[in-house]
Amino acid sequence: MFSKEKITIAYTIEKCEGCGIQKKRKFAEGDVLFSKISKCNSCDGDTVIDKIFGETIEQ
Amino acid sequence: MDFTNFDFDQLFGMKDDTNPLMMLIWILPIIIFIFYGQRIQLYVTSGEIKKGIKKLGGFREESRNELINYVNKHLNPKDNPEKKIDQFLDYFTIMPVDMDPNGIVEKVQHTVRSREDYTREHVKSLFSEINDVELSKTQTLLEIASSLQMIHKIINHMFLTAKKQNNYPLILPLQMILPFIMEQAEAMKEAIPVFKRGQPVGDGIGPMVVGKMMLHSPKEIVAFQTAVAKTEFESRKLFLLKAEGPGSTVGRPADALESIISENKLDAIIMIDAALKMEGEDSASVARGFGAAIGGIGTEKFHIEAIATKKQIPIFSIVVKQSVKEAITLMTKEIADQADDVRLQVYEMIRENTKEGQSVAIIGVGNTVGVPQ
Ligand SMILES: [Zn+2]
Repeated sequence: MFSKEKITIAYTIEKCEGCGIQKKRKFAEGDVLFSKISKCNSCDGDTVIDKIFGETIEQ
Repeated sequence: MDFTNFDFDQLFGMKDDTNPLMMLIWILPIIIFIFYGQRIQLYVTSGEIKKGIKKLGGFREESRNELINYVNKHLNPKDNPEKKIDQFLDYFTIMPVDMDPNGIVEKVQHTVRSREDYTREHVKSLFSEINDVELSKTQTLLEIASSLQMIHKIINHMFLTAKKQNNYPLILPLQMILPFIMEQAEAMKEAIPVFKRGQPVGDGIGPMVVGKMMLHSPKEIVAFQTAVAKTEFESRKLFLLKAEGPGSTVGRPADALESIISENKLDAIIMIDAALKMEGEDSASVARGFGAAIGGIGTEKFHIEAIATKKQIPIFSIVVKQSVKEAITLMTKEIADQADDVRLQVYEMIRENTKEGQSVAIIGVGNTVGVPQ
């Protein structure tokens, strides 16, 4: 009966192409899929943006 | 309680000595309903529909304001764009005559493309400089605002006509389609911030899968807003096709396919697209099948089918199911999580349906906003 307010938060997943380690953070203005972010901390691979998606939570 | 001893006659006042007042109480409502039933129903239904229309009006205002704010804030228009945008919002499209359907696809395509070209040029003329990505985003926002305006106008017209004529049967179909219209309109309204920020939408799953396959190969523009990359996979030649990202466009896959086929022999076509899920089906479930998986008004589908039929090339499809809302708003986690699996299925399909030395075109169908290649 009382529908809760739903909000969607956008997340960005950074993934290392070398070791496959993933990091999830909030979406930032300018994030685009597949773009290179930085060098990986644990290996020498590049981390790229692997996914951008929204998760809906009820308040 | 003793049910056998129930006095029905007394309960319903049907004894011989019924008093006339009781009779009136029974009969009056029946008479009222016989003569005014429709009108009463009209009032009840009207209330609901009015609420819907008010909401639609709100969406329409909001989308227009959002568009104008976006243009003013981010794009430095040459002068106040409000008047010109309002003009665009009222543009209509007249579909060609279909009494003689011969050649109608070309006519529809011509009409729709003319509209797109016209809007693109005129949006461009509002700014001294605007890049292609911003241009495509503004064009999409304009499409959304103008669709919401059109929906509001039509529903309001149907409602007011029914009210004016006290015509209950006329309001029935309106009551029936309103939930579907509201679902669509709400989805459109929620799509606005997503397109503004250039985030991928659910419909972008096809371009996302193919875009990743294209990453480390040279790309070229093969048709308007459409990119191709040529690669190899297990001794097969792959032509990877998608709309040119990260702007908001679906490209022209049929033109691209035509251009590829004019110089190469293809042995299979694989299409990856988002598809509307049926109610009760799981969102983000993946299904495979035959035939061209591509939505829209049908002109691209027609041409792809025509090419495939003429050259006798089989078309295979992989679709990711989603709702109307999921397709045009920020991609959900469930859909994004399918990308890797779908890509593996594409490779599996290539192995299953082609032999070494053959060529395959793989088309990622859908809006490519936020998805480069
Ligand atoms: Zn690493």
